Amino acid sequence: MEPTDRYYWDGPAPETPAQSSTPAPWKDTTIVGKPVVRVDAYDRVTGSAIFPSDVVLPDMLHAAVLWCPHGHAMVKHVDTSAAEKMPGVRAVLKDGTPGTNIPWFQSRGFSSRLFDPHCRYEGEEVAAVAADTIYQAWDALRAIKVEYDLLPHVVTEEDAAKTDAPAVRDGGNVPPAGRPYERGDVAAGFASADVVVERTYTTPCELHHPAELHGCVAKWDGSRLTVWESTQGVYAIQNSVAAALNLPLANVRVIGHYMGGGFGSKLSTGKYSIIAALMAKKTGRPVRLFLTREQVALTMGNRPPNTIWLKAGVRRDGTLVALESRSRGTGGAYAGGGSPDFLIRELYLCPNVRCENQDVYINAGPQRPFRAPGHPQGAWALEQMMDELAARLGMDPIELRVKNVPTFSQSRGGNPPYTSTLLKECLVDGAKSFGWTEARKRPPAAGHIKRGVGVAAGMWQGGGGSPPSTAIVKLFADGSANLNMGASDIGCGTKTWAAQIVSEELGVPLDRISIEHADTGTTQFATPSGGSKTVPTESPAIRAAAIQVKEQLMAMAAEQLKVPAADLELRGSEVVSKSEPTKKVAVGAIGGFRSRGVVVGVGYRGPNPSGKVANPFAAQFAEVEVNALTGEIRVVRFLAAHDSGRPMNEKTYQNQVFGGITMGIGFALTETRVMDREHRGKVLTQSLHDYKMPTALDAPADKSVVILDPHDTEVNTTGAKGIGEPATIPTAPAIANAVFHAIGVRLADAPMHPVRVLDALADHAGAKGRKRG
Amino acid sequence: MMRTFAYVRASSLNDAIRQLGADGACAHSGGTDLVGCLRDGVMSAKTVVSLSGLKELRGMTATVDGGLRIGALTTIAEVAADPIVRQKYAALAEASGVIASPQLRNQGTIGGNLNQRPRCWYFRGDYVCTRKGGDTCYAMDGENQYHAVFGGGACVIVHPSDTAPALVALDASVRTAGPTGERTIPVEKFFVLPEVDVLKETVLEPGEIVTEVVLPAPPAGVKSSYRKVRARQSWDFALVGVALAVSFRPDRRVDRARVVFSGVAPVPWRSAAVEKAITGQRLDARTIGRAAEAAVVGATPLEKNGYKLPMLRGAVEEALGRIGA
Amino acid sequence: MGHDDTNTDTLPARGVSRRGFITTGVTGAIGVAAAAKLAGATTDAQGAAIVKAGEMVAVTLMVNGRQRKMLVEPRWSLLHIVRDHLGLTGTKVGCERGECGACTVLVDGVPRYACMALAVEADGREVTTLEGLMTGEDMGPTQRAFAEEDAFQCGYCTPGQIMAAEGLLRANPSPSLDEIRAGMGGNICRCGAYAHIFKAVAKAADLKRQGR
Repeated sequence: MEPTDRYYWDGPAPETPAQSSTPAPWKDTTIVGKPVVRVDAYDRVTGSAIFPSDVVLPDMLHAAVLWCPHGHAMVKHVDTSAAEKMPGVRAVLKDGTPGTNIPWFQSRGFSSRLFDPHCRYEGEEVAAVAADTIYQAWDALRAIKVEYDLLPHVVTEEDAAKTDAPAVRDGGNVPPAGRPYERGDVAAGFASADVVVERTYTTPCELHHPAELHGCVAKWDGSRLTVWESTQGVYAIQNSVAAALNLPLANVRVIGHYMGGGFGSKLSTGKYSIIAALMAKKTGRPVRLFLTREQVALTMGNRPPNTIWLKAGVRRDGTLVALESRSRGTGGAYAGGGSPDFLIRELYLCPNVRCENQDVYINAGPQRPFRAPGHPQGAWALEQMMDELAARLGMDPIELRVKNVPTFSQSRGGNPPYTSTLLKECLVDGAKSFGWTEARKRPPAAGHIKRGVGVAAGMWQGGGGSPPSTAIVKLFADGSANLNMGASDIGCGTKTWAAQIVSEELGVPLDRISIEHADTGTTQFATPSGGSKTVPTESPAIRAAAIQVKEQLMAMAAEQLKVPAADLELRGSEVVSKSEPTKKVAVGAIGGFRSRGVVVGVGYRGPNPSGKVANPFAAQFAEVEVNALTGEIRVVRFLAAHDSGRPMNEKTYQNQVFGGITMGIGFALTETRVMDREHRGKVLTQSLHDYKMPTALDAPADKSVVILDPHDTEVNTTGAKGIGEPATIPTAPAIANAVFHAIGVRLADAPMHPVRVLDALADHAGAKGRKRG
Repeated sequence: MMRTFAYVRASSLNDAIRQLGADGACAHSGGTDLVGCLRDGVMSAKTVVSLSGLKELRGMTATVDGGLRIGALTTIAEVAADPIVRQKYAALAEASGVIASPQLRNQGTIGGNLNQRPRCWYFRGDYVCTRKGGDTCYAMDGENQYHAVFGGGACVIVHPSDTAPALVALDASVRTAGPTGERTIPVEKFFVLPEVDVLKETVLEPGEIVTEVVLPAPPAGVKSSYRKVRARQSWDFALVGVALAVSFRPDRRVDRARVVFSGVAPVPWRSAAVEKAITGQRLDARTIGRAAEAAVVGATPLEKNGYKLPMLRGAVEEALGRIGA
Repeated sequence: MGHDDTNTDTLPARGVSRRGFITTGVTGAIGVAAAAKLAGATTDAQGAAIVKAGEMVAVTLMVNGRQRKMLVEPRWSLLHIVRDHLGLTGTKVGCERGECGACTVLVDGVPRYACMALAVEADGREVTTLEGLMTGEDMGPTQRAFAEEDAFQCGYCTPGQIMAAEGLLRANPSPSLDEIRAGMGGNICRCGAYAHIFKAVAKAADLKRQGR
């Protein structure tokens, strides 16, 4: 299968018209790239940002969903009679309630319905209540009596793959595997290798847990529905809500001005939007329905856990000659287990590669794309393997990697070159800034607190963006501007860099630019923000729109100044003749502009360069302390070197990299979903105490970023690639490699909980003892 | 969202005791554990009896014999920050400082910390386990990585309190008041093993509450400490913890020692074996090594918590190394 | 379906500003004494204040310098009344079990989780929310520091982070980095902006010291 980053949009997305002009790349910029404060910082620190869960409408009802508490069950009977009579209750829905027989797309080729009686995992929706207050809604939920037939559950990949395993779905738990990826001749490759290493790595099932819960407020005006939803993409929500309710797209308005994080879990909607809309329709009142934290843990996606067997062959001089992987993963009851092999195929030059992925279904909530789907898992295996190979070769881990850096894509048809790659510089310059050589040479500490440093590299299979994208810039007669775009700002600073682009082209100060975005009723079509594609997708359209405004201004000024438009340029707030600088006119004094009152520019994003591929690259460096007595690991320092093209805003770029590192620390050290295999097939880590995300004391204060700009003039008209995904891909293996450096023990299972550190140390000591004996 | 309950603001200690005697009454001090338990349906309350009006249960006072009384409603943050506690009862200050999170330390009380319910994920989930009156301990053959290696039985919870092991090490007592009067109970005897009563964690009788914690004057030459090993550096309970109160003779030999573990048993687990291994000894590497080995003698790990043995050995080694330095 | 309930009398009047009315001067000066007794409740023969299950009781809170009298059910959380009855949606819902920090407010100047506090227990207390750090439309120093240091991404945990920082700085005006990290240890930022948060807290301390 050809690598793709289009997972964020299911089905065909409309292409935008061709770009009207292809502006030359920026050289020096005055505001793009600068570390300016976010344009919506005020809103986010004062509470004036209204998140969807903050929306309060007159006469609004509060709703809650009753979910199946069993790992696998069939609903036999739902008795809502008591609930319906309770104070404040206005609507109760269950399977069989008129209007609820709505098919629900679960995964390709598999649908269930809104309140499907077959609950394949804990958390599936069984009934819902809307009441005057949220407490009343919960009182009523608890009064609903549900009879279940309990079915045998299976919650581990091993169990699910057994021939006599209880079936999660008709057709069995092990879907037919896709064709393996193959290039070259792996057997011949291994035969030519001087060193061959194989190892099995495992990665945790991680939960997204964005800060804001999943949910929405739904309100009808006759046949028109408005949904305020915490989402990464308002148009994606519009699509699925309109389809489920059989409404014209134009009648579904989705608004998502602010949203409290998604990380991929809010690219699509959940049944909650449909339930809220149905109840709002039934009652004639707006309905607020937000899930609980437990429901989010159960139903709103996860990163599939993977077991990856990886074998690598390398020549004595460090040339990689063969890579072979087999992985198994699970995306729960409905979705696939992800493909963790992209990096194995692509990150390093290697002529002989074979990768096989196998999905299994278990009784657990379906996965959703989670920040760089598959990549942190693949990096966990590949980048530890590279470290191990280097150790076996007696070579510096950076040298080994640099030796195998590719300049073209090996796993895509036709082997297209990258528009740019600074992977080598990420490794080399990053190492220099980190003080790699000195840190590697440091003698081991005497006490039980061991220090170590490690490196890992990465890339992201997306990050180049693509059409469609449309943006509109309006310049008002007083020189202030409005930008209209459909993209959500999911916390990456989208509005801010978008305003910076407008400011760059039109010279309008940021505080005179207003932004409308993320509203299907009033803004342009956009695919959801995710996959590190928002900057490279939207920025060229925004630039084009601003340029179109500028060109119209120039034409009007040319007429007034009697000079050709090509001779004019915008300097600050004046249009000036390049050949005769005395000929100039203030923007606000251009007659045509004054009479029109506004100039509107429409920008479209052009296609990506043909025959080339745009990807971001990274190398990250970790320093850790390992307590050899207790197994505790502390990350004390982190440096990240990134090639994501031109940075749009140094401040938000850096912040996003730090965020990726923090998330990677969770992957490496603490986060894992634990399920009750023995008894009921339930999730045991439903709370944020049991599911342990990094806190302020787990993330090091000493973090830095080296920004490497390849001045990529081919990727698009802003030279930008994405940063969100690559920031978290190499983090965990960099930590694991640092742990190896510190204690000489390889931890192939993530997270590296103290439990595992101690087990590994004990095994290591045992092996040493045996060797001595 | 919690179920409905009646609420009583007790006007006096006697009033609180009277109210708590009613069927289905629960005491509310800081509420940080109670509210969570009620929300999750771990406990149900017909009536929540608030103690927040009982000013007499707040604050710390020095006792005439050089000890310290801490009112049960004193917050964990106040205990952690108190200069006397920090100077004379380091183990308690250190334990209080690593509980949960700053906000919970600001709200949770020392009395509540001793009376909190266990954190076993089956107990907190919708499992009718032995501790909730059922007949199965789901952790026994389930996901027991965070469970007990000592003192289990019909239930393999670990006691979640950090202050409790510190208080046992410091030889503290609690004062209680109940329908039958007041009593003083050494903290060491305050908690009960599942074999005694699987339905509750303490010896408190219905209607009885802790009114204060009493710390004796620290013995001459005593040093105390609390070391908590956890997976996450904030907001986490102990995987294992070690509370020490060790008095040294002038020749640096250990005169007396009280060694108490958290995270390994349904109650704060006093280790006579470690105490024996160090008493009369200098805390050199050999003694510490022996003590660390002694720490795990008699432990009976479950399928997934065998790591607690090396972790406990390691924590004891580190803690003794530090206190002896 | 169902009966009409009696709760609507506690809902905020429409058009109420999202920000509380700010009085001049230091919070604390207004001084609603923390009530030992629950004045709004009936008392039994022994003087205990009693509220029956499902009944409401009048409480008085000083919220952002403004006295608020309202009827609450005993089970209502402080978070519920702050957001859904006072309309102060700066305070966020994250987990409703004291495990994320998004709902952090100051109660008598000290950071607490509003989700784990019963509203009735806040009777007579001073409650400060994010909105209470503002002077008119102007940000307070902690808010300004968070904005300038880009100490957030999605911004959802941010109100709680800012209130935790504000509480930390009121108790300790010049915290060290370690003290900042420990003080911020009760607020999860899933976007992972911690490094910027640490800088913002240090900057807020500077701004406050300079009286800005």
